[in-house]
Amino acid sequence: MSAKTTPTQRALDTFVEETGGWIASQLEACTRCGICAAACHFYQATGNPDFAPVWKVELLRRAYEQRFTVAGRILTALGIRKRITDEDLGAWSKLVYEACTVCNKCAMVCPMGIQLGPLIHDVRAGLSAAGMVPEDLMAAVTKQVEEGSPLGVTDDVFEERIDWVSDEWDVDIPLDREGAEMLVVFSSIEIMKFPENIADVAMILNAAGASWTLSTKGREVVNFGFYEGDAEHTALFVNRVLDAARELGVERVMVTECGHAYDALRWTAPNLVAMPPGVEITHVVAVLDELVRDGRIRLRAGAADGGGGVTFHDACKIQRRGGHIEEPRNLLKILAPESFREMTPNREAAICCGGGGGVIAIKEADPNRYAAFGLKLDQIRQAEAGTVVMACSNCRLQFLDGVQHFGSDVKIRGLSGMVAESLETADEGRPS
Amino acid sequence: MSWHEFLRFVRGPLFEVALLVFVAGLAYRIFRVVALGWRHERAPAMGSRAGGVVTSYAKGIGIWPFVPWVRDTFRGNAVTFLAGGLFHLGLFVVILLGTAHMLVWKSLLGFGWPTLPLPIVDFLAAGVIVAMAALLINRFTQPVVRKITGPAEIANWVFVFLPMLTGYLMTHHLFFRYEVLYSLHMLTVDALLIWIPFSLIPHFAFYFFSRTIHGSQFGRRAVTP
Amino acid sequence: MGEQTISEHLRAEGVSRREFIRYCGVLAGSLGLTALPPGIAGSSDGGANALLDRVVQALETTPRLPIIWLEFQDCAGCTEALTRSQSPTLVDLVLNRISIDYHETLFAAAGTRAEEARLQAMETYAGRYVLVVEGSIPTGGTGLFCTIGGRRATDILDETAPGAAAIVATGNCAAFGGLPKASPNPTQAKGVWELVTDKPIVNIPGCPAIPEVTTGTIAHYLVFGRLPELDALNRPKTFYGTTIHDRCQRRPFYDAGKFAGSFDDEGARKGYCLYKLGCKGPTTYNACATLKWDGGLSFPIQSGHPCLGCSEPDFWDGGGFYQGQSAPLDRPGLRTLGLLAGAGAVVGAGVAAATRRGRRPAPTAPTAPAEEGGEP
Repeated sequence: MSAKTTPTQRALDTFVEETGGWIASQLEACTRCGICAAACHFYQATGNPDFAPVWKVELLRRAYEQRFTVAGRILTALGIRKRITDEDLGAWSKLVYEACTVCNKCAMVCPMGIQLGPLIHDVRAGLSAAGMVPEDLMAAVTKQVEEGSPLGVTDDVFEERIDWVSDEWDVDIPLDREGAEMLVVFSSIEIMKFPENIADVAMILNAAGASWTLSTKGREVVNFGFYEGDAEHTALFVNRVLDAARELGVERVMVTECGHAYDALRWTAPNLVAMPPGVEITHVVAVLDELVRDGRIRLRAGAADGGGGVTFHDACKIQRRGGHIEEPRNLLKILAPESFREMTPNREAAICCGGGGGVIAIKEADPNRYAAFGLKLDQIRQAEAGTVVMACSNCRLQFLDGVQHFGSDVKIRGLSGMVAESLETADEGRPS
Repeated sequence: MSWHEFLRFVRGPLFEVALLVFVAGLAYRIFRVVALGWRHERAPAMGSRAGGVVTSYAKGIGIWPFVPWVRDTFRGNAVTFLAGGLFHLGLFVVILLGTAHMLVWKSLLGFGWPTLPLPIVDFLAAGVIVAMAALLINRFTQPVVRKITGPAEIANWVFVFLPMLTGYLMTHHLFFRYEVLYSLHMLTVDALLIWIPFSLIPHFAFYFFSRTIHGSQFGRRAVTP
Repeated sequence: MGEQTISEHLRAEGVSRREFIRYCGVLAGSLGLTALPPGIAGSSDGGANALLDRVVQALETTPRLPIIWLEFQDCAGCTEALTRSQSPTLVDLVLNRISIDYHETLFAAAGTRAEEARLQAMETYAGRYVLVVEGSIPTGGTGLFCTIGGRRATDILDETAPGAAAIVATGNCAAFGGLPKASPNPTQAKGVWELVTDKPIVNIPGCPAIPEVTTGTIAHYLVFGRLPELDALNRPKTFYGTTIHDRCQRRPFYDAGKFAGSFDDEGARKGYCLYKLGCKGPTTYNACATLKWDGGLSFPIQSGHPCLGCSEPDFWDGGGFYQGQSAPLDRPGLRTLGLLAGAGAVVGAGVAAATRRGRRPAPTAPTAPAEEGGEP
């Protein structure tokens, strides 16, 4: 981006670049009814009208009006419409990064069906071009650009971690194995904070006799460029994984328990970069379900029963935006046929954890994040569940933090972990 | 100018001009958007786009307070849902199934259709007026809606409300002579037709864009919209 | 010389006192009044008896009312309506006994003798006669669209109007131009009040004018010595105060939304409202629904035909007779609509093209793999 222009100009230029018929038509369809606020967990939890999704998109709408409509141009030139200022960008930065997980639930209640989530993503794109990304988030992005990981997983750290996991849990973890069928990509949260996830996934895949590998080059799938909304960073990060897939000649790339990374790689990357031909992007919940269905792994039925109610938390990027809604339920109905219960609402209408979309990475967003998690906790209480299972480490991080914050004793589990400990063939070799 | 001449003017040349502005303006609005270009979605689909679109429209029509997935949203937006719903329902019935309006369509399209008895249309017209009043109050009292209300929204309300009011008074022959009310009704209708291309009202056209996008994006990701 | 009063004149013609009082009753009834108009002195109760007293008084004290009846671009339909009126006493009284001094259609005299009679009457009764005009006056071209005795209608009107005490324009043609004025109005026909502006003029529009309204208005002038109270279009408020729709016997069906959809459907047989068949009743001010025609027998709507609005200005151009009244009068053609929609679309696309510049190109295979790197 040119340094000669002002932040506002850079933001507006990005809006103009991003805006096509699909964005314009949705902005034109908005009737300003405000119903979307009812779906937003941040608005619901705080009652702050600024957090209404329609208001978050207002910046984009103003930009559209001032750049694309004749009336808007005239009114702006006459000074009747206020020009967008750098202060505006700052204000909206606080809204779209710190009070939005881009979970797109608002789109489900919009009477016009406007895809507010993607529109808010476009607001982020403009703000990132303007350099208005909250510091904490930007620091993480920079770290991922420079070191390859927002959590400091450098080449050395990665190899160390994998060795350690391999030893600790006594599992084979193939690394950079050319000709493997499937490349497995973990998120940095899993590598640094939930290493057992790596062991669990490895155990399951080994038990199923799958041909798989990790890659040093595409060692992590996390994509802070996607949080930031910057297309170039997003492309840079997905390309690391895709290049690894190309080099190793795999047929599939499996994203593990990470929601936004899956959204970025599965749904966004094909529109940003050239995909390696014939490579399928899939998610670990889909693979687990497939392995069970094909009989390649066997689960002990009812293994998770007996410990109180078990419920499943739908992650915005894996379920509502990812489409893997039934797979985790299929698994849980085997693992906990007696004690599995749904929260209300659930599936694609589920309430978001409040930590996604990069929110958890921003310190200033903590009050919003905890407020939103309060709604989730109420939901868990109403479902009378003692254990919440999820397939997203970002959600899991937020849950663990939230549960601690509220002093709740709800148990938080990852789905892969639950599956791994219920493997019929894997009774031995795994410390309980 | 007598009311009689004025009526001839608003029913005649002004209506013609208003209709032309409406049509040209709407075409302008739609093409300004369509010609911005459309992205080809490259991610391979997981589910049926068509299925998503169909569901999206079905859900779009089925936004009634008693529908399970609407219930949560309904809380806190009762006025918007009820008054907004009544407004749109009433508007469609009055414009399409009111006898006098059907005759307008007939003169424009060359064919007519059966209409509803006046008392029903009349009841809904009154409903629309009450609903609009409620929506206006809501615009200033509901914090979110107040935030997104500007001069354009208020102007919109006025431009839609006046034809409703004059139409209602005219049907009931209230306060003024018929040709006076008829003239005012036509004047406000002409004003509305001219205003539409400059307003938020073309959402009735963009609805079909946003619903389709919504349905296909959810559908291709194998999620129920 | 003392002129004969009307009552003296009638007595000389052999009308008995009893008959005279009956005439007075008919006249009083024809005024369409239930009480004396404001500003007219009368006996104490001010009601119907006062009205009759006033009529008797007027006929006993005032001389005959001379009337000159001119016809221009007309069909003589208003005259026809008068002569075939089912109120013979009234018409006989007004037209024969109270005196018509010149009437082309009814006159026994013809040619120059008739014209001489008009000039004679104009001279004798200068400033006192009532001028009744039937038919519109052509003003287009050289004014030769309508000539009588070789003279232009405009000239005859210019000659006759100055001496008139008042002018009654009967029928829509004389009042508002009527059928001859229908678009494109080749003769540039006009109503009397557009041409004569310095005389009291009363318009009795209708096609034809209701005979009882014409005679009632003349009677009013006779009895009270002035024209009745008029509305903005110079129509007597007594007869043009309410719309046909207001007094229509089919009105309850309108209110209930029951309409005849064609002239021979079930609704038509049941006598439902004729709005959908193009009835102009809601905007038409006339006395048809109350006075009716043929001695109160019926009127168009009662007989199953929608009101054409014939007492309103330009009723020929007020949309099709059988087109619903709500329908617009002017509609753009499909061609125009298409052209404008196309123009809107082109301008819209132009604005889009002008504002679109600089969008990120779609990913293509050759460029993307180069985007490697970024790793330390």
